[in-house]
Amino acid sequence: MSERYIPADHTPLPPRDAEVFTTACDYCTIACGYKVYRWPVGKEGGPQAKQNALKTDFPHQAMMTAWVSPAQHNVVSHQGKPHHVVVVPDKDATVVNVGGNHSIRGGTLGQKCYNPNTPTRERLLHPMIRVNGKLTAVSWDLATEAMADISKYILAKHGEHAWAIKMYSYQYFENTYAITKLGMTSVGTPSIAPHDKCANTNDATGLDDAGIDSFAASYQDWADCEVAFLSGVDPYETKTTLFTQWLMPGDKKMIFVTPHKTMGVAWALREGRGLWLPVNLGTDTVLHMALARIVIENNWQDQEFIERWIANTWEVDAGYGRGTRNTGWQWRTTWGNWQSDWPDYKKFILSQEESKLEVAARITGISPDDIRKAAEWIAKPKADGSRPKTSFMLEKGNYWSNNYMNTASLASLGLICGAGNRPGRMISRGGGHQRGMMSAGGGSWWLSPEKFPGRRKKDFNLDRWLMAGEIKFAWVFGTTWVAAMMASDALGARMKELTNGNPHQITRLDRAAIFETLKKRVDSGGMVMVDSDIYPCQPVGTEFADFVLPAATWGEENFTRCNSERRLRLYSKFYDAPGEAKPDWWAVAKFADKMGYTADGSYQWQDSNDIFEEAARFGRGGVLNYQPLVAKAKELGAKGHELLRGYGTTGIQTPIRVRDGKLVGTQRLHDPSNNWGDMEGAEVQLQVLYAFGTQSGKAILLKSPWKFAGWYQFFEAVKPRPEKGEIWVTNGRVNETWQSGFDDRRKPYLAQRWPDNFIIVHPNDAKRAGIESGDWVEITNDAVYVQTGQPQGVLDADLTFNQLMKDGHIKTTVGRFKAVAIVSDEIKEGVAKSNFNTPRSMANAVVSAVPDPMTNNYRYKLGRGVLRKVGESEYKTDLTRMSLKPRPIV
Amino acid sequence: MTNTLIPLRNGHREEQPGHLCMSRRQFLLAGGALVTLSALGVSSQAEAAPLHALLAKYPKLKIGRLSALKTGEPLTFAYPYPDVRNILVRLGTRAGGGIGPDQDVVAFNQQCTHMGGPLEGTFKNKYQALGPCPLHLTTFDLTRYGMVISGHGTESLPQILLALEGDDIHAVGVQGLVYGYGAMTAQRA
Repeated sequence: MSERYIPADHTPLPPRDAEVFTTACDYCTIACGYKVYRWPVGKEGGPQAKQNALKTDFPHQAMMTAWVSPAQHNVVSHQGKPHHVVVVPDKDATVVNVGGNHSIRGGTLGQKCYNPNTPTRERLLHPMIRVNGKLTAVSWDLATEAMADISKYILAKHGEHAWAIKMYSYQYFENTYAITKLGMTSVGTPSIAPHDKCANTNDATGLDDAGIDSFAASYQDWADCEVAFLSGVDPYETKTTLFTQWLMPGDKKMIFVTPHKTMGVAWALREGRGLWLPVNLGTDTVLHMALARIVIENNWQDQEFIERWIANTWEVDAGYGRGTRNTGWQWRTTWGNWQSDWPDYKKFILSQEESKLEVAARITGISPDDIRKAAEWIAKPKADGSRPKTSFMLEKGNYWSNNYMNTASLASLGLICGAGNRPGRMISRGGGHQRGMMSAGGGSWWLSPEKFPGRRKKDFNLDRWLMAGEIKFAWVFGTTWVAAMMASDALGARMKELTNGNPHQITRLDRAAIFETLKKRVDSGGMVMVDSDIYPCQPVGTEFADFVLPAATWGEENFTRCNSERRLRLYSKFYDAPGEAKPDWWAVAKFADKMGYTADGSYQWQDSNDIFEEAARFGRGGVLNYQPLVAKAKELGAKGHELLRGYGTTGIQTPIRVRDGKLVGTQRLHDPSNNWGDMEGAEVQLQVLYAFGTQSGKAILLKSPWKFAGWYQFFEAVKPRPEKGEIWVTNGRVNETWQSGFDDRRKPYLAQRWPDNFIIVHPNDAKRAGIESGDWVEITNDAVYVQTGQPQGVLDADLTFNQLMKDGHIKTTVGRFKAVAIVSDEIKEGVAKSNFNTPRSMANAVVSAVPDPMTNNYRYKLGRGVLRKVGESEYKTDLTRMSLKPRPIV
Repeated sequence: MTNTLIPLRNGHREEQPGHLCMSRRQFLLAGGALVTLSALGVSSQAEAAPLHALLAKYPKLKIGRLSALKTGEPLTFAYPYPDVRNILVRLGTRAGGGIGPDQDVVAFNQQCTHMGGPLEGTFKNKYQALGPCPLHLTTFDLTRYGMVISGHGTESLPQILLALEGDDIHAVGVQGLVYGYGAMTAQRA
């Protein structure tokens, strides 16, 4: 293989005696099932069915059956000896990717595997310490001892708040359990944030407050619905097989609310099954209210469902409204702004100016006819009086533009249409990454210094803490941090100042000398940084970190996690991790040992299965509960991982239950048919299995007053300023890239497709700026707002944008990035879209870092900027890389 | 003009002696035409060696005349086997591996590299693209060596290498692995 993509005309076929492993995709939330065939280098299977492990004659012309594309093959090391592997979608799969469907991301998993003859040679192989500015290989012992020396000093002198973790929340239960055990239980710090948020807070918060679990639905529900309302998402782009396997077949209708006409949208329109609502950025709430008004005015609501499943006044008050409690949830639900019952919600919708069709059309930029049509599709009873089976999906276009109100208003709309707890009638997130968080608990979130008005505790904003210079030690696990968070330029500049901008830098590999240097660093206001990753991560690993630790990843260790329908599978180890790379749980245990946390017998894991079994009891209260599987394994005298291995690519959906001694998965949450009465074995009868996640088990309707100051002031402040020539500069994903592209740019086939970041620009906006497809464009926002200081909410208005500005808690910074233009009318005029989280082209640099005061989560999608042509890219003439064609060609 | 579309069949392919394409035996015995790197539009010497090693020397086959090709009106042909169905098209814009005075004549296999879906009849003249595949909507850029524009194919669309002799267009090779094949030049069941 080469750095450049060169099509091969041959792929080795696995011989009959190749070993077979099951796994699931490492990437998106859908998690297709894969099989890995491994055999020693030196032989190959033959083309006849009896000569190969695929039991298939080659060549063949049978669509959708066994084929190994060259990108699915690699040569890896197994027990030190070279082996062929092919990683192919499981054609025997009966769930998720039935029959072997797959995306381009998972379909090229084979190229992910470490092979020094490919660009994967860039993998981190040894622990390293930055000495005189240069990363130098050291032993695991020295790295972890030096980390422990300075950590002990910081904890003693500066306190646990100064010791921080920025971590992936999805990279397998075994790792996330170990990392949270270290951070929350042993160190006891509140300074922990996941990869996708500045605080350890909710995602689709309005759903949570309504009592709806974000991952309540199964993929079958998306197949079974008659209408899919897709808010802020085209699943084709980001959840490929959910779209191609579960949504495309049949004749269901799809409503897409997004400013970008992507392939799924264009295809559905062509088929006469689609409705495209190109919403103005941030205004989904108004659309939802207008739809609710049409439903109510026409009496199309599902009254029977409402009577049975919507909380009445007394049930709304049950569990809260009885004095101060110490959570954000309490704050959101006790002030009367939001929670409602059916008569009150109805009154609210009918009284709002913004819910009027003409007004809503003006605010959202969607034609009144299309809004009316959408309302008819989702709720208008059919001629026979039956109701359309409508499911509601939301993703980041929804909750990453107006975090609280978009989710709250969508939940209410879905509920009055009768969705939430029945086959084909669900309200759920589509999902981004897989569900791999198994928190060890013992959380120390209550140590957060932040407060909502009314003095209720607020989750900890780690970015703000860093900007304030309060972090003395930060351990980053597998995330870019800088590119992934908002105001990336300001965040990166501050990080640099605190690390390699500090005069105290390590100059020699001597444990005592390192300690003395780092002590001076932190006492002079600086910060020590550790980066655990599989590749050099730009810039935290490449520029800032004092310690860089090599991680072992997918295929290099036995791991487990769930997908977005809570399906638990074993991700099998099938080859050697490169160099001295170790799974993050191992590095954590090593560090914990140096810290003295192992004295009570903790962290004594021999393998990842030990953690899987230990972690099981910490998940018992949640929807990822797999404890019954571990109990069953113990009963059988087997390891938990090995019992799960027997479930192959099918796995089992959590929460796992027990009936007649057998393990039973849970297809759908909140479904009353899950109420089986008595519990059996190790199962936990969670209320969310058969009712909504509220005190009463009934869902709560939430109001969403458009002019709510916590939202509206910010929205006004970050809108494009016409006098400056700004347009919205939003961000999102494309089908061919996973996350930051850490693997994609080392897969020659995918690297040729997207060698650089793009910005999709409407022809009219492009014309005004003199931009053509293939031009380099610089995007600048000279007013990127960053929340600073330590705002404590006391009075209601304290965390609103205008008050923060007045109180000096908003700093104005400049953000810019560069990308290659693709001029196409697939995007709404006045909006440009770039890839989210590309480390060398950070689209989030033009987005403000002022979180939603309701949730402490950012409004990621609301960037703005002036577009300026800065030259022509090589892709204008180089025909070997980066297609500049529009995405939706139908 | 060769304009034969081989119908899609399930399972193994049959030998078709005497047909316009060669049988396996004929193919393996044939010397084939020399595929020049210029046909690929690759000039770098550094890249020449591995590329050359990957290419088989296929027998050349006349598939059409340049003067008869109309821009945006594709023709189909089979090469190098009867079951490998391809499109020959003049794009009207410079393309990777394109021949003719405007380097705009290209040929590609018509089986989607995702799961073998048929791309026949999906040519989009406006975008110089093939697709979307009727199965899962993958599209391919014919100006950039069959690169995926959007979708799931895990390889670029195999490109049929062309050579021009006077007015005659010859297929002279295949770059890539056609869906359903384990190898293009050996290993047949």
